Amino acid sequence: MTKQTFTRRSALLGAGALGVAGAMAGTKPAGAQGGVTLRWWSTQSVPAQLEAYKFQIAQFEAANPGIKVVFEPTSNETYAAQLAAAFASGQVPNIVTHLPSFAVTNYWRNGLLEPFNDVIQMVGSDKFYPDANRIYEVEKGVYGGAGIGGTAANTLWLRTDLMKKAGIEAAPRTWDELRAAARKMQGGGIYGAPLPYAKNSMTTLVFICFVRLAGGQVFTPDLEVAIDSKEALNALEFYKSMRELCPPGATGYSWGESLTAFVSGATATGLYTGRVLANVVAQNPRIQDSLAAATYPSIAASVPSWTFNDFPSIFIPKAAKDMAATKKFAAHIFAPEGYIKQLHAAPGHVLPVLKAIADDPRYLDNPIISKYPKEVKLMAENSAAGFNLGFESPRHKPNLKAGDVVNSGVIAELVQRVCLNNEDPKKALGETAVKIEKIVKG
Amino acid sequence: MTHAEAAARETAPRLKLSTKDGLLGALLIAPTVLIFCAVIVYPLVSAIYLSLFSIYTPTLKGSWVGLDNYAALLASGEFWNAFWVNVVWTVGTLVLQVVLGVALALLLHQNIVFRSLARSLILFPYFMSTVVAVLVWRWVFNDLYGILNHAMMWMGLMSMPLDWIGSMPNAMISVILVGAWKYFPFVVISVLARLQTIPDHLYEAATMDGAGWWGRFTDITLPQLREVLFIVILLRAIWDFKEFDLIYLLTGGGPVTATQTLPLLVYKQAFALNEMGGASAVAVLMMLFMLGFMLLYFRYGRATES
Repeated sequence: MTKQTFTRRSALLGAGALGVAGAMAGTKPAGAQGGVTLRWWSTQSVPAQLEAYKFQIAQFEAANPGIKVVFEPTSNETYAAQLAAAFASGQVPNIVTHLPSFAVTNYWRNGLLEPFNDVIQMVGSDKFYPDANRIYEVEKGVYGGAGIGGTAANTLWLRTDLMKKAGIEAAPRTWDELRAAARKMQGGGIYGAPLPYAKNSMTTLVFICFVRLAGGQVFTPDLEVAIDSKEALNALEFYKSMRELCPPGATGYSWGESLTAFVSGATATGLYTGRVLANVVAQNPRIQDSLAAATYPSIAASVPSWTFNDFPSIFIPKAAKDMAATKKFAAHIFAPEGYIKQLHAAPGHVLPVLKAIADDPRYLDNPIISKYPKEVKLMAENSAAGFNLGFESPRHKPNLKAGDVVNSGVIAELVQRVCLNNEDPKKALGETAVKIEKIVKG
Repeated sequence: MTHAEAAARETAPRLKLSTKDGLLGALLIAPTVLIFCAVIVYPLVSAIYLSLFSIYTPTLKGSWVGLDNYAALLASGEFWNAFWVNVVWTVGTLVLQVVLGVALALLLHQNIVFRSLARSLILFPYFMSTVVAVLVWRWVFNDLYGILNHAMMWMGLMSMPLDWIGSMPNAMISVILVGAWKYFPFVVISVLARLQTIPDHLYEAATMDGAGWWGRFTDITLPQLREVLFIVILLRAIWDFKEFDLIYLLTGGGPVTATQTLPLLVYKQAFALNEMGGASAVAVLMMLFMLGFMLLYFRYGRATES
């Protein structure tokens, strides 16, 4: 019989072996736990909307045992980076909602999306408004996504009490009238307007509105860069002239800050969607009876208005796991009860894309929609006739590079260079056009 | 066992004890080497490799461009602007951190009331999540509701609110101040630990020789702190140079590119312009700058020591 010795070496080896064994024991093959988990990303996630999503998820999970849905919020300012990282790593969400339509075309162009036709069929293509999904038809008969709602993002919000006090009788129709009204109403701690001058996507998107409202365009219908124009120069000059009528911190405003500035009563006018209504009623009821909405003014009465509708979308990344369950859930999002709850979470903010919902008594039976029927109607009409950079006008070809242009931030930089740094607008415009050209060609 | 068998066994090749120890050593160090390769070598080689391509971030597909990314960067004004902004930010915040950190460490080394509580509270900014800290500071700086503007207007220092983070030079000053506030506790704890090991008799001898507080500070305290300050400055310089979240969340690099440092340029290239190759090239150049700085710093440290 040999004598067993226990050396430091054998102890180390034993400990190492135990560690490896422990690690192996703790590892289970992927999928061993069973069940399906779907990840849902959205840029819209205020508490009321989260409640609606919870309801939709609970309904779906109850009807589909074994499937779990997890909601993960993103934002308008960060989704591009988050999705780029998700696509690059292969860790994509199953469903993404409320991104602007040009994001869909951009991702489709790069082969990153699953065709959405199955989901549209499951919802019923005839239930959508005619042409509601035309913007998502990325190839003949193939849809990269669908609309989940409509918006009128550059609705002009006015305080009728302040207008009356300043002796302004009607909503401004032109930029000169708007500037004069803002100047008259400014004072006593209240600023004229909450226009954004930050280095972010809101500044880009809002300034694109101003280029269009000046009668200009960012791209020609054949998608040649056209921002270096007299109209864009006029837009820059007007935008710069409005700086003194905006709060000092507008240099950092995104959608949330701009909305809060108007809702809190810090500005006399606002530029936002219908979310203003719910927020004023909930957060500043003192001004709820002094609210009015108008179509945003253009440079002159002869220049037609241009409503920015980002066409909030729904789409499925191609690399998403559990595709059948994903499509089933995507269709479920349009189920009337849950969809109406979503719309009611911010009445007038996201407008319905399903015909039946717009006329559904359950949708119309909402205190805010009932209180502000004129405003909601105006936004619905403007939204229906709305455009964005991916679809500048009915004459324009779909712009598959719109997302890249917006995300690059070059237009926001143009605004900052001219309005904050007092750079020569002509030179800045020319350089911006070159940068956009490079992005388009790249 | 016969005598012949025993002799044969003795002559058979056997591993020497030193060889066995060597193998065991290699085996034991292998996990460290593997982890080092996984977390340092692989990302580094990947970054250098990616920087030689033009790559679209979401798909990670691209084409070989060689050194074009570097040539484009070195020729671009934006890159050199970001480098300069990076230097201003790093030097500005580091100087404030060190001055503030040493001053407070000296104060907390004295017998003051609530010293233990003060020593705990001083760490608070360092422990706080950057996101939360920036949100709080954004609120403080807010033009309409921020306490800073309200307080200054109430005191009659100004009649209209000031734009603290959206215009220059306020944006850079604000970023530097917030950075110093967030990271000076690291200097405090490092210096305080060293202060507690300086023998009292040195001060007693100096006092008997007639040295005042300034003389004691410059002739005893500072020389004793030299080593710890050398390390603290090195570490904080590296960390500050590659700071991203605080600046990005506070100003986003604006106005225009006035607070856009190199890490923000990496982010912009990778996720706003979807140019992963260009982003990697910026990251590699950043690493080279840091390497150059460290070499100079060590050389200076050795020269001072000798």
